[in-house]
Amino acid sequence: MRGGSGKGSGAWTPRELVELAVQHDLAELEVEQGGTRIRVVRERSAQAGERAPRAAAPGAAGALPTEGLEPALEASLVKVEAPMVGTFYRAPGPDTAPFVSEGDLIKEGQVLCIIEAMKLMNEIESKLTGRVAKVLVENGQPVEFGQPLFLVEPRR
Amino acid sequence: MFHKILIANRGEIALRILRACREMGIRAVIAHSTADAASLPVRLADESICIGPAESRQSYLNIPSIISAAAVTDSEAIHPGYGLLSENAAFAEICRACGITFIGPSPEAIRIMGDKAQAREMARQAGAPVVPGSDGALRGLDEAQRVADSIGYPVMIKAAAGGGGRGMRIVSERDALARAWATCQSEATKAFASGELYLEKFVDEARHVEVQVLGDRNGIRVHLGERDCSVQRRHQKLLEESPAPTISAETRAGLCKAALAVAHAVNYVSAGTVEFLVDRGGRYSFIEMNTRIQVEHPVTEMVTGVDLVREQIRLAAGESLGYAQSAVQMSGHAIECRVNAEDPETFVPSPGRVTAWVPPGGPKVRVDSHMMAGYTVPPHYDSLIAKIIVHGRDRAEAIARMHRALAETIVEGVKTTIPYHLKLLSDPAFLSGEFTLPRMERNL
Repeated sequence: MRGGSGKGSGAWTPRELVELAVQHDLAELEVEQGGTRIRVVRERSAQAGERAPRAAAPGAAGALPTEGLEPALEASLVKVEAPMVGTFYRAPGPDTAPFVSEGDLIKEGQVLCIIEAMKLMNEIESKLTGRVAKVLVENGQPVEFGQPLFLVEPRR
Repeated sequence: MFHKILIANRGEIALRILRACREMGIRAVIAHSTADAASLPVRLADESICIGPAESRQSYLNIPSIISAAAVTDSEAIHPGYGLLSENAAFAEICRACGITFIGPSPEAIRIMGDKAQAREMARQAGAPVVPGSDGALRGLDEAQRVADSIGYPVMIKAAAGGGGRGMRIVSERDALARAWATCQSEATKAFASGELYLEKFVDEARHVEVQVLGDRNGIRVHLGERDCSVQRRHQKLLEESPAPTISAETRAGLCKAALAVAHAVNYVSAGTVEFLVDRGGRYSFIEMNTRIQVEHPVTEMVTGVDLVREQIRLAAGESLGYAQSAVQMSGHAIECRVNAEDPETFVPSPGRVTAWVPPGGPKVRVDSHMMAGYTVPPHYDSLIAKIIVHGRDRAEAIARMHRALAETIVEGVKTTIPYHLKLLSDPAFLSGEFTLPRMERNL
């Protein structure tokens, strides 16, 4: 999902710059074009929100916010993506405990979250058994189709 | 006026709507499939949201996803563009129920005009001439045979739920009716989920002329003249122009009056198009009404100076039209060529990567296109990649200008219909203006 500033074709978009910075592992990147200066600064602890740039290549786990995870582990993680556009809820109700939290063991078929679309609460089930390594979206945030929601470490 | 609009379409029309929003100071959200994530409209939009995978059924035709996308982005209105959900009455109804404005006419008007047999009856009652044929949908082959016998062959069998040139068969003799009936019925059932058929006298050597209308909530309606769309290939339009060549002032006035009568009959609000067949003698008959923006709308914009997409948005927001028929002035001649990624001989789609794209420019040339170098024409959608529109003081000047514009257009990587258009622009029948629907298909 993108809620960005417009630009004339040919100029760099902030998204492209962020991707470039991630791709080349730059701490800082500054570009001046047509009187506008864009500076991209990457913080190690940067929290990836729903406006985070999408990975340039599909399945490029390196561009996902996996800071704090063991590198060996990171490569084996599986993304759980939103099967529809809507509002993401971690719990069945406002005063109830989340379906899953980081570190929880989950089974195939277990409900991970709810995506509300057209006032319908759609329970999203896990397609695999494993451990929740990371919850990528905050409760109540809008998600688009294909947006990564969880990182799961698969287990037998 | 709206603050934010969701555009539930793709390609050049998504970009066209985005441009109108920009000029009106409205934020635009593009709802797109995964296949269009890197497209020009998505790049240029204020916001974008992915609504599903490449297949239209799961993205651009997925009503819950589109409504949900409008909700999470706080969009107040949805512009459906053309095709896809633009003439889906159920979608317009759901928008209404969800408190989202559908930028188009009422679900009731869409429903009546979507049933081609009912639309025909409605037009007839409103005083618009219709081609002789069945009164509404036919109950079966027996009735079809009776009606065909009484009006005489050739006849045309059409799907009541059809449109866009699909689900129709020309039958030249009685012996061929049963088979055509069966084929048409299964085709209609598959394509439109309704096997209802009706039948009309087939008008040979006719021209396809349509009238653009606009209407507001107070019942003020104007026409913006006509467009001639007789250059077609397999019922698909390839070139449109305004005004229509060789029709008399009397025929033109009759067409426009009949179009407004049909629009009044369904209490039409928004931009719409009433389509007619005009025979060699200048006699015209209503075929159908399209309750959306047309692909060829720029032709009318060029001769009238009216921004039709802007008008659609204004009228949907409840504004009044603000001008009368006398304020609509037409000047000069406009032509549009639809550049499709297709083989110019066989018209087989040619999806692929566009390696070079240089659009034409210069005076009085307009290009509506989502092309960019490196763009891959996806195989999932229609093959329209650009519309080139020109304006001239008269038809001859417009033709010369179009010739010049097409000749300087560079598209590499995919095949396009440009060679077909160049040939057409030099064809004597086209130059004389004396061309009709089947003749153009035969000759080129």
